[in-house]
Amino acid sequence: MADPANTKLGRMLLDEITPVVMVLRTPLVEESCRKNGLSLIEMLAPYSNFNNIDVPVRTASDQPYRLRKFKLRLFYDSEIRQPNIEAAKERLKQVITRAGDKDFSDQCSDPPDIESLVATSQQEFVPSWFQNFNKELVDAVSFSEHEAFDHPVACLVAVSSKDKDPIGKFVDLFNTNQLPSLLNDGAMDPKILKYFLLVHDNQDGELEKATGVLTAMRSTFGANDCRLLCINSSADGMEEHQENPWASYKNIASNSKQLGCFLNVDDIEELRNTMHDLSSKHIIPHMELKIRVLNQQVSATRKGFRNQIKNLWWRKGKDDAPENPNGPMYTFSSTESQIRVLGDYAFMLRDYELALSNYRLISTDYKLDKAWKHYAGVQEMMGLAYFMLDQSRKDAEYCMENAFTTYLKIGSSGGRNVTRCGIWWAEMLKARGQFKDAAGVYFRISGEEPLHSAVMLEQASYCFLSSTPTMLRKYGFHLVLSGDLYKKSDQIKHAIRTYRGALSVFKGTTWNHIRDHVHFHIGKWYAFLGMFDEAIKHILEVLACGHQSKATQELFLWDFFRIVQETGKTFEVFRLQLPVINFPSIKIVFEDHRTYASPSAAIVRESLWQSLEGDMIPSLSAMKTNWLDSKVLPKKYKESNVCVAGEAIKVDISFRNPLQIPVSISNVSLICKHSAEYDETESDAIGSLTECHNDKELRTISVSGDFSLDTSLFTLSEVDISMQGGETMLVQLTVTPKIEGTLKLVGVRWKLSASVIGICNFHSDIIRKKVAKGKRKLKQVKDNLQFLVIKSLPRLEGVVDDLPKTVYAGELRRLTLELRNPSKISVKNLKMRISHPRFLNIAAQEVMNSEFPTCLRKQENSSQSCTQMDAAKAANSVFVFPETTANSWETPLKWPLWFRAAAAGSISLYMTIYYEMEDASSVITYRTLRMHYNLEVLPSLEVSLQTSPCPSRLQEFLVRMDVVNRTSSESFLVHQLSCVGDQWELALLRPIDSAVSFELLMAGQAMSCFFKLKYGRRQGSTEEKISSLATSGRADVRLVDSDSGGLFDTSISPFDLFHHYERLHQERHEQGSDGVGIMGHGSTVDFILIFESQRESNAGLPSTTEVFSHHKCHCKIASNSPIWWLMDGPRTVRHDFSAAFCEINLSMTVYNSSEDVVSVRISTLDSTSAINSASVSGNEVGWHDTSHLSEIKVTSDVMGTRFGKALSPESVSPFIWSGSSSTRFNLEPLSSVVVPLQISVFSPGTFDLSNYSLHWNLVTSCDGGDDDEHGSRVSSGTCQGHSYHITVLQKE
Amino acid sequence: MANTACFMIVSKNDIPIYEAEVGTVPKKEDAAHQHQFILHAALDIVQDMAWTTSAMFLKAIDRFNDLVVSVYIKVIHTRLMLLHDSRNDDGIKSFFQEVHELYIKTLLNPLYLPGSRITSSHFDTKVRALARKYL
Repeated sequence: MADPANTKLGRMLLDEITPVVMVLRTPLVEESCRKNGLSLIEMLAPYSNFNNIDVPVRTASDQPYRLRKFKLRLFYDSEIRQPNIEAAKERLKQVITRAGDKDFSDQCSDPPDIESLVATSQQEFVPSWFQNFNKELVDAVSFSEHEAFDHPVACLVAVSSKDKDPIGKFVDLFNTNQLPSLLNDGAMDPKILKYFLLVHDNQDGELEKATGVLTAMRSTFGANDCRLLCINSSADGMEEHQENPWASYKNIASNSKQLGCFLNVDDIEELRNTMHDLSSKHIIPHMELKIRVLNQQVSATRKGFRNQIKNLWWRKGKDDAPENPNGPMYTFSSTESQIRVLGDYAFMLRDYELALSNYRLISTDYKLDKAWKHYAGVQEMMGLAYFMLDQSRKDAEYCMENAFTTYLKIGSSGGRNVTRCGIWWAEMLKARGQFKDAAGVYFRISGEEPLHSAVMLEQASYCFLSSTPTMLRKYGFHLVLSGDLYKKSDQIKHAIRTYRGALSVFKGTTWNHIRDHVHFHIGKWYAFLGMFDEAIKHILEVLACGHQSKATQELFLWDFFRIVQETGKTFEVFRLQLPVINFPSIKIVFEDHRTYASPSAAIVRESLWQSLEGDMIPSLSAMKTNWLDSKVLPKKYKESNVCVAGEAIKVDISFRNPLQIPVSISNVSLICKHSAEYDETESDAIGSLTECHNDKELRTISVSGDFSLDTSLFTLSEVDISMQGGETMLVQLTVTPKIEGTLKLVGVRWKLSASVIGICNFHSDIIRKKVAKGKRKLKQVKDNLQFLVIKSLPRLEGVVDDLPKTVYAGELRRLTLELRNPSKISVKNLKMRISHPRFLNIAAQEVMNSEFPTCLRKQENSSQSCTQMDAAKAANSVFVFPETTANSWETPLKWPLWFRAAAAGSISLYMTIYYEMEDASSVITYRTLRMHYNLEVLPSLEVSLQTSPCPSRLQEFLVRMDVVNRTSSESFLVHQLSCVGDQWELALLRPIDSAVSFELLMAGQAMSCFFKLKYGRRQGSTEEKISSLATSGRADVRLVDSDSGGLFDTSISPFDLFHHYERLHQERHEQGSDGVGIMGHGSTVDFILIFESQRESNAGLPSTTEVFSHHKCHCKIASNSPIWWLMDGPRTVRHDFSAAFCEINLSMTVYNSSEDVVSVRISTLDSTSAINSASVSGNEVGWHDTSHLSEIKVTSDVMGTRFGKALSPESVSPFIWSGSSSTRFNLEPLSSVVVPLQISVFSPGTFDLSNYSLHWNLVTSCDGGDDDEHGSRVSSGTCQGHSYHITVLQKE
Repeated sequence: MANTACFMIVSKNDIPIYEAEVGTVPKKEDAAHQHQFILHAALDIVQDMAWTTSAMFLKAIDRFNDLVVSVYIKVIHTRLMLLHDSRNDDGIKSFFQEVHELYIKTLLNPLYLPGSRITSSHFDTKVRALARKYL
């Protein structure tokens, strides 16, 4: 470690603990000095500080040493007393305030980075005024009675030569009545060294008079103690001093007069000599002498074993003396005081060893006497002496701590001394690098008085910063603590300074309460000072404080608004955090050639639209060449988005309120830049302009600024919203360009609570753009906020009227598509495509005029146009509107649509309408209108149909229909069942009578009914088809009793239209079912069930009937074989078995329903076991099972049938087939053959004649091209015989 | 139970990942930031101490007025910090151990990203229950 004297504390001690000279002067002396703008003390002060006095000093020891530095402290007699506490406080406050003002001016810049702060040396960041402050604090406790180093060592008596009777004045000045109380009340020896100075002002008179007085003085007071001081030798008062020695001593440089302007070089030399003479020839020798004298006395009375015992004994006796720690217990003549004086003198003359030994001696005495203040003072000096000796750090610290705690113990009277002691202690620790401990000491000094504590805490914080390792967090914390105290004592500038320092630590911290606290308070304090820009900047940081309590949020917000109001201006804040914008959710919807009928259409995926529009729009490349050839446009056009003048660009922005309190947002609008040119450079300039515009974080705007200009180019929508706490809101903003050119979306602006304007810029990369055009998208990712505005184009508006939101499955409706063209320019080539033809389809325009649903009913004059199926086919791809309609419409174009809720569930319907501009000069030659509807389809009736061959008749089937009402409340009336196809005839199994009438089917109710289905082509004549009622092939059965209306004609649109799509749909679902193709129409059958619902409408209006249809396609008819057969013969035979066995003739009718020639072989089997084995083989199992099902008659008595079959093996051949066991024949297509059969029965009974089988073979299956894939599998087969029961009875 | 107690888990990047006021005294408005300040400042001391001792439980390593900071350092340098005004060292130690266990369970959750904020309400109720039990 360096020499203790060179440390900060050392210098401080050498400054502070120096001999005090009391100065007495007459008013005239003061007057002379005032001419220079200085008082006498101030004039002398620079010369009482000796840097190299080089005086030999010999104290108690015999070894002399030389004193290099020396200093005298000069005080007027009036100042030699304990300073007034209030005055001292005031002075301290002044020091701080001044420092605050001075420092604050350069504090407005950003706080330095904390890393660089640590890197700089300690002295740089510690404010310099701390030293002054500490000095003032130390001075505040000077002239205490328990310490001797402030006691005047000498007295300088100055009288002017102008005074009358100078000798008398000298005597008068040292009149005891006017002397400080310290000398009078016995705390110190009044007999001190006197030095007489005659001050002569050269401007006032001749030197002779003064020398005369001096001679008189010499004779009166002694030759050595008198001196003449001539000042003001310079007549003109223009004396310039190279380096003004007074500058550092004179605090207030307020007077413009040059300090010391009347003092010339001679005067200064004389001043210097006077002081040198005073110190080296008088004060130092006087102190040496006194030390020696006192030392002898102390040695005589206190040193040595005997004296110590005596002392102890005597002290013990004094124990019960009344305690009076405040009163002057020790007069100057007491031994204790003398030892103390001896110690202090020795300290002042740098004989620390001597000082220490005396302090040690006295400290035990004071301790025994319980004179705690004295004790603490001595301990303090011991600590300092240890420090100056640079030995035994532990002892030094122990002494300082001892002193500190003792001062603390004695309470208020030691209050100031605590501070001084603490400062010295802390300085001592700092000098030794123990910064952390020093910080602790500073922390302990900070007492009740806020201002002092603030300064001390700030010093503590700097200690933390200088400690190793650097304790940044402690630094920040103590700065904040000190800032709070500064604020408490109204030193706002200091408070801000400390907080800013802390901010460098807490910047970007995740400790949210800390960050909020610091920013909020800085902001508030800046507002106090009227620096609103800074204030708002800081408060903005805490606005989005979702984690704070509601009350705090309110406080923050309220303060913020108050500050903003105080500014009286409208602030524009870049990136205001309230409300928060959710950037990824920003969506931009614009319309170029794609237009959207509803917002919901715009959010549908682009690829979906593209797939829908695929073949409708001209190909991209073709279009491109078109306009590139016709128009020479800059390349930029390709890269930016196109929008049409007069059509709005919509931007969806979601705002979130992070607070728990409601906020109101008004005037939310977009910021846009419009430039009329396509020119690249132009737009660049605007771009850069915008950039620098936004670089400033805050700016005030004039409300009537450039925005009024902009309104001619485009219009912006404004939205006002008020958000509840924590709410998220989606706001749609629009901008409508009016003039061709380039439009750029810059950002969004809003007004928070009508006082602050928030601005937020969009960045191209953070916005997920809604619409992109395939290939182009890749190229122009970064430019998607830029729009090329082209001149206005016609834009169709379309709507589907009364499309329901919720329907029951199967419901049929007629809807109207309404298209409107608001512009003057006409469009042509309208085309439309619908995504789900199963749900929505185009109707013929005539339907518009007819009444729904009555038009669906069968009419006598069946003049329905037969082109319906063509329309349906067309709608499958693209529907082209007739050319006549494609004009500019005053009245909207209406076109009917059929709607049928085909399946339950949620469904999205997409429609797109393509049209071309009449005006081919435009950049965009065509546009599409995209419409999107969502609807929910609820389940209504669940229908299942089952067909099985009628066992008793050829080519007849039984159809079972099970209907369950799946709705919760709706009831339906089953109206009719239709069968599609001209070859079918459908009838109820039993005619409707009142008992089995199908009434309303209530919710949850189930119903079954049976039908007979007849294959109507048995007669084979095509001409009959024409004459039949079902012209286009429908067989209908009415299921309602009441004559509520005629049957619906299922052969016309929309039934056949939707049936077509249902067929396609259900076919797709039934892939893999056999025999669809091979049997033609014969294998499957389609049914349409039509049911109605009576909807009760409001009173007055008749209840409307809603029509529902259910399509069941591809109902498989049981048999998959091309052949049909029927066993015919008697059921009951009576025979006399006594005569002979019974021969029964049967006939089997075999019918070939296929288009090919079939070869059939009938094998009769007598052994039942053979049947069983045959039935197991391969493919035929399924068929066998099916035939089992077919045996289910009306009631399912499967078990009964099986039982019968199981019985048959037991009877041992009760009958045999007669004739050949195998018959083979060929069947022409669609023809039948009757084969005779015969059995012989040997005993009466009931027999099941099912033990035969039919083997069939497609003869010409190879050249049948349509079913190649099936050919190998189903070109042949075996069918088990149907059961045929015959009862043979014994004839009586 | 302590009158004032503020419990906090600080991740190794000095980011608070969990904080709870577990004292019985109703929370004052300005207490939140004061507690954060004290605990934040105490991190400096913890940083010093952590490398000088092998103990996990560092009791009363820092104080501010009558509030004391005790710290439990995990191996991965996550710190459980408690600001308290009681002198119940055993209770605090047990509290730390139990919370440590809870924290490890949280870490085992595959959906929890180590170093992120602990938002589990289950964890919160458990910690508060432990605080009632031990502090």
